[in-house]
Amino acid sequence: MDVLNLFLSLVPVTLAQSLILSFVVLAVMIPFRILSFPDLTSEGSYPLGGCVCAVALLAGVPPLLALALAAAAGFLAGVVTAVIHLRFRIHTLLAGILVTTMLYSVNLRVMGKANLPIFGEAKIYDFFPFDLGSVNYTKIIIAGLFALFVFVLLNLWFRTERGIAMRAVGSNPDMSEAQGISVWKATIGGVGMAGAFAAIGGGLMVQSQGFSDANMGLGILINALAALMIGEALVGKRTITQMLAAPFVGAFAYYQLISLCLAAGLPPSDLKIATGVFVLLMLAGPELRRAKGPRAAQESFRE
Amino acid sequence: MTQQALDVKAARKTFFPGTADEKIALNDLNLSLDAGDFGIIIGSNGAGKSTMLNAISGALPIDSGQVLINGTDVTRTSVDRRAKHVARVFQDPMKGTAASMTIAENMLLAEMRQSPATLRKGLTKARRDKYRDLLAQLRLGLEDRLETQVSLLSGGQRQSLSLVMAVSGEPDLLLLDEHTAALDPRTAAIVLDATMRAVEALKLTTLMVTHNMQHAIDYGTRIIMLDAGQVKSDITGAAKAQCTVQSLVDQFSHKSDHMLLGA
Ligand SMILES: Nc1ncnc2c1ncn2[C@@H]1O[C@H](COP(=O)(O)OP(=O)(O)O)[C@@H](O)[C@H]1O
Ligand SMILES: [Mg+2]
Repeated sequence: MDVLNLFLSLVPVTLAQSLILSFVVLAVMIPFRILSFPDLTSEGSYPLGGCVCAVALLAGVPPLLALALAAAAGFLAGVVTAVIHLRFRIHTLLAGILVTTMLYSVNLRVMGKANLPIFGEAKIYDFFPFDLGSVNYTKIIIAGLFALFVFVLLNLWFRTERGIAMRAVGSNPDMSEAQGISVWKATIGGVGMAGAFAAIGGGLMVQSQGFSDANMGLGILINALAALMIGEALVGKRTITQMLAAPFVGAFAYYQLISLCLAAGLPPSDLKIATGVFVLLMLAGPELRRAKGPRAAQESFRE
Repeated sequence: MTQQALDVKAARKTFFPGTADEKIALNDLNLSLDAGDFGIIIGSNGAGKSTMLNAISGALPIDSGQVLINGTDVTRTSVDRRAKHVARVFQDPMKGTAASMTIAENMLLAEMRQSPATLRKGLTKARRDKYRDLLAQLRLGLEDRLETQVSLLSGGQRQSLSLVMAVSGEPDLLLLDEHTAALDPRTAAIVLDATMRAVEALKLTTLMVTHNMQHAIDYGTRIIMLDAGQVKSDITGAAKAQCTVQSLVDQFSHKSDHMLLGA
């Protein structure tokens, strides 16, 4: 137990946080990289998942089921974004902003007020049978198991016939359609799936911090995007395994970087501009490098 | 009445109707193919060749008329639901493949035309072996590069892959729209040769658009000439055997004098 304690004490406190964030990073990666459907809905489906989870827990729903309800709500939010884009040909980003904006009201309605404490309720983290001395460790283990489960499951899914069909829609929608794949179904399924993951992130966070808040999603998307950029820089984004690993690696690295910045004396209020500048640099990087050489093929995304 | 493999009845398509740019691309076009027919489609630029193939595949809904495949009316059927019957290769090699996916994954996608995707593992060993055999027939070495991302292939290799994908599963109808036009002569010959071998071996009902009159003479069972959104002549049998490049070019100029001038 001593070795374990020593090992765990070296694991930064931020690990639990980054495991939770990795679900939101996943929710950004799947539409963006796999479906070529850049999407902002997670900014709204993350708090939605938190709110639904909190309300369900207060109603006496068991923690795991509360998380499942949150996932279902998030899935629905993703479906709405996808349908707005597919049916009305509204740009994916605008569709996501619309849904996120509307979700703010939905979240307030679901909770009935802006902030809902759930300190007394049973949490998913209570399931861990051993006392490790700190609640942080049980959070890491439970959230880590969730993350591992999802990582393995997604690796399997994207190698099934349907998973490969879904990736094809992101790669070449017209060609996919000509192979009998429904672009509608694949897009709705994929963006819905992303919404579910963001909501699970929200649910895990609410159960971790002991309260739900209508404003808890503020800026989460840029954090997730930054984490994704770091993750892709570290593990690559060519194969499907790399794509799926990047969110988890990236979320971890991102939080380490943030605590480093804070430790170095960066005021917390400046974190957002630091993150924003970082994302900007990562996104602008290829363009800056390209400015010297011949223009490479542009990545194409849905309008 | 015998059932036709393809029956296009009075298909009409107008772009920008009611504006100064109005363009009648299909002008009540009629065309029937029997099973096993290999129609070579010729006609000047803008004659409506691509629009006709789009109408058949479902990529473009027609304004009026009907499209029947094997006797079934598919006029209002979406592209993905016609895919069971129709396979296509486009002029642009980029259009026919999923660039960010591997050769093996692309081959698997082609299989989905016949059997919709399930929750089973996609790339099994048996499938990889099958794809290796199919690709080996091209003699381009693609069979050894199953895990290569398609974006790394040359245009000719991508087009060859598109062709193998299109003929796999023996579609009821194969549509080829100037599918060798964007390739260098040597690669074009390879792709064309592979096309002819597949069409013959599998007895595929095929429509191939080309600007090469010699190909129209050498290949296929029918020469179908389009002009201004209509079939202007349909040459089969003995008449086709007697065609020369000159006689075809003459037809062009008789049918519409402006075509040669405009070309
Ligand atoms: N998507 C489109 N929008 C507007 N006009 C089009 C479109 N596609 C084709 N056309 C017009 O329809 C006519 C027939 O085009 P097309 O079928 O591409 O000819 P072909 O393939 O025989 O060269 C042309 O005048 C062309 O400009
Ligand atoms: Mg054309």
